[in-house]
Amino acid sequence: MARRAERKDGVVVLSPPGRGAVRADLEQVFRTSYPKVVAVAARVLGTRDEAEDVAQEVFLAFGRSSVPAGEALGWLSVAAAHTALNHLRSGRRRASREEAADGGDAACPDVADAVVTLDERRRVRAALARLPRRQAVALVLRHGGLSYAEVAAALDLSPGSVGTIVRRAESALRKELNRHAPSD
Amino acid sequence: MRHPTDGTLRRLLDEPAGVADADREHVAGCPVCLSGLAAAQEDAELTAAALSVEFAADVDTGWRRLSRAVAAEGRAGPATAAPARRWRAALRNPVVAVFGVVILLTGAGAAAAADWLQIFRTEQITPVTAPRADLIKMPELSAFGEVEVIEDIDIRKVADAAAARKATGLSVPRVGALPRGVTGEPTYHVLGRVSGVFTFSAAKSAQTAAAAGKTAPPPPPGLDGSRFRLVAGPGLAAVWSEGRPMPALMVARAVAPTAYSAGVPFATARDYLLSLQVLPENVASQLRSFSGDGTTLPLFQSVEQLTTSTAEVGGVPATVLTSQGGTMAGVVWADGGVVTAVAGSLSADEVLSVARGLRWDR
Repeated sequence: MARRAERKDGVVVLSPPGRGAVRADLEQVFRTSYPKVVAVAARVLGTRDEAEDVAQEVFLAFGRSSVPAGEALGWLSVAAAHTALNHLRSGRRRASREEAADGGDAACPDVADAVVTLDERRRVRAALARLPRRQAVALVLRHGGLSYAEVAAALDLSPGSVGTIVRRAESALRKELNRHAPSD
Repeated sequence: MRHPTDGTLRRLLDEPAGVADADREHVAGCPVCLSGLAAAQEDAELTAAALSVEFAADVDTGWRRLSRAVAAEGRAGPATAAPARRWRAALRNPVVAVFGVVILLTGAGAAAAADWLQIFRTEQITPVTAPRADLIKMPELSAFGEVEVIEDIDIRKVADAAAARKATGLSVPRVGALPRGVTGEPTYHVLGRVSGVFTFSAAKSAQTAAAAGKTAPPPPPGLDGSRFRLVAGPGLAAVWSEGRPMPALMVARAVAPTAYSAGVPFATARDYLLSLQVLPENVASQLRSFSGDGTTLPLFQSVEQLTTSTAEVGGVPATVLTSQGGTMAGVVWADGGVVTAVAGSLSADEVLSVARGLRWDR
């Protein structure tokens, strides 16, 4: 992400000196990009609380950066995907909080259903964590709602190769899910 | 014609308009491609179902939360601004300031000279562990005299490794293989040289001793008013933070602290400070065990927060620090007057593996 911007204009774009300087267009970028950034993080983490925490974290970092406004969505989405995937890998999931949140969720009227949902969510997260990082990022960007052109810009790919990497990721995810199916 | 790629088939499902007409027409009449398309569709649907979440982000609530976080951060103050205050604040910080005192205490073997004479040079780092309460009780350098800042703390961000190298004259570490979960490119920061002059004051030292319930013995001739110069840096750091406030990995190098004397023999000052008995005894005894040649920099650790162990990096002894919760680890070593540290939200094994795999741009 930073690398892209640096290549482009030869200057540092990640953050200016001093944490106090917050960019003027933060609110505008937030209002247009927040739903997609949360959606990307949610594809990895599966819960609203965790996805919103990750989105807040990356917007806070973005606020101190000088990433060009035109690259904001890509930068934020990639940062959210990596941060969320890092949360999976470092095991810093708040399982108890997640279960507490799910316990009050009207969408799961039955305790057995809730348990099944939670178990599936864990399997999906584990499978995502095992995918090559680049594939996992492309996958959650695309399924988080970014267009092929947006994914291509965010990951510095051609739109044609977005389809290739997403296809590979989906195939790999299916294999991971089948390999670790509950009946095993 | 050749069959379109799997990637093209995949895009056909989502954005048919993005696929060339010729490819679309081929697929419509090609059993091989239609079968590939069906397989792609199956995987895409399974993935969509597995990754689906049923909620919409609340933008207004999110914005209020971010605004509060931004405001709170502003109140906390810029991290890299006001370097003068930071240097002084650092000297007031007991654990940091103690470095200054201890450089005086551990430097030895110097002779009196008219000019600045190097009396301490960091060649190794040794942890000194004590309960946190004892470290907080350690006196500040200003308790024994006047501290004058000559070169203030100045940390700034630079464009890349080459700029960091140019600014500091230090070779830049390159990480061979990043630990699992650490990704992206690092940002580079440089620290300018930091220096100050400490002027010993017998009166202040006597006050400090009196405050600790001790009686200061009369200082040796010439010690009152003698000056010591403390220098450290420049330094540089490569930080992998990937949009997160806490870095996942940091690799830093700096020219290690050195002390110079312009007056009495250094051992005189050291022996006198130790005779004041103002350092906690467990700290003082660890310091006394240091070699007398003025080459060991103490690294103060509170026993409640960090555990230390020893290891070897590139044939040099290194100190490994692990936080009590196991969430962070670091390894630090000195070689040729330069201190290098690797730290992050990693395990001790991971930081050691990064440290041992470092290569240097020459």
